[in-house]
Amino acid sequence: MVIDVFLALGLVVLAWQALIGGSLFRGIVMFIVFGMVLTLAWAWLGSPDLAMAEAAIGAGVTGALIMIAYWRLRRINAVEPRDPSPARSRLALVIAVLATGLVGAIGLAAVSALTGDATAARVMNETLPDTGLGNPITGVLIVFRNLDTLLEVAVVLAAYIAARAALGRESADLPLPPAPDTPLLTPLVVTLAPLTMVVAIYLLKAGSQYPGGAFQASALLAALGVLLVLTGRVGPAAAANWLTRAGLVIGTLVFCLVGLGMLVIGAPLLAIPGIWAVYLIEAAMMISIGLTLVLLFAGAPGLSGKRS
Amino acid sequence: MSLLLDAFAALLLLIGAFFYLAGTVGLIRFPDALSRLHALTKADNIGLLSICAGSALMAGELRVALLLLLIWLMALFAATVSAHLIARRSLRDAEDSGADAGKSPS
Repeated sequence: MVIDVFLALGLVVLAWQALIGGSLFRGIVMFIVFGMVLTLAWAWLGSPDLAMAEAAIGAGVTGALIMIAYWRLRRINAVEPRDPSPARSRLALVIAVLATGLVGAIGLAAVSALTGDATAARVMNETLPDTGLGNPITGVLIVFRNLDTLLEVAVVLAAYIAARAALGRESADLPLPPAPDTPLLTPLVVTLAPLTMVVAIYLLKAGSQYPGGAFQASALLAALGVLLVLTGRVGPAAAANWLTRAGLVIGTLVFCLVGLGMLVIGAPLLAIPGIWAVYLIEAAMMISIGLTLVLLFAGAPGLSGKRS
Repeated sequence: MSLLLDAFAALLLLIGAFFYLAGTVGLIRFPDALSRLHALTKADNIGLLSICAGSALMAGELRVALLLLLIWLMALFAATVSAHLIARRSLRDAEDSGADAGKSPS
């Protein structure tokens, strides 16, 4: 109970600090700390899947993306970016009240669903063994509610295309921090790169029975990509080659092909024929999401082997 | 024997917590980047080692102990490189601003 209160209060204070902070940099740091405390909160509530996703995507990759955006803003404008403080208007108050009411209503619904007759959860728990999956989260994401997941992957792709369109062609010249020249970087990269790949693939495979899955694995791959970009092993390229394009769409494509293929053999749309299809879809999703995040970090349409 | 093991595990956890506390106090109270790093790396190394060793004793399984050892080694590696990079950067900033090496703005 003490830890519950401590985590809840800490999250509110950190969120407040991230928004109100005197400088933009301070706000970013508070946002990353917020993500870490949120990770602890999910772990404390017994949701290791969400904790891993929050640590890897929320605090890790998003933190890196915001940090590089801040660095570029300073570099391009050569001034401290102005902190857009939240406007203290009456509208903000109305939105705050509405948002609080919405969160409260969802919380109330969730609590009452726990005590009431949770039909969907019961049916899922009964049918989960038939799918060969042991992790109910993966079951919901890939088998039971996979239209939602397909749309999520499509949204990632659409968001990337929108970001590319907004950045334009000259974005390949976006500055990146110079790679630090220190003899420690090579041992770091040669140790972490294979290790990260092994852990990512393990997470993907373990996700069928234990906490893990495509989103966590893709965030790990994205973290590796960020490391490679920052250490100069991989650099931005002015155009995307076919491999990059294929990697970006493979998640949505494989998901759609499996889902539509079911119609051909007479099964319902988006039915999952077996555990191999779960692995196939998740592997494709991992590549697409990971690559999208790295390309956003590099701020370029493509990647090249070595940074000049 | 079990009681003795538990007591030893608890002692290790307390030692770890103490090093983390000391490292945090150092991070907040020390005046410049290099001495802050000095305080923080102690927490990273010995603090995490003590907590991992205490947790391994409490788990009482070789597999868990080896995993915890791996976690400690990876954290140590990452902390070493990042501390090295921060120290280099703070030295370079200090040289650029013409101040004494080690007394850098943080």
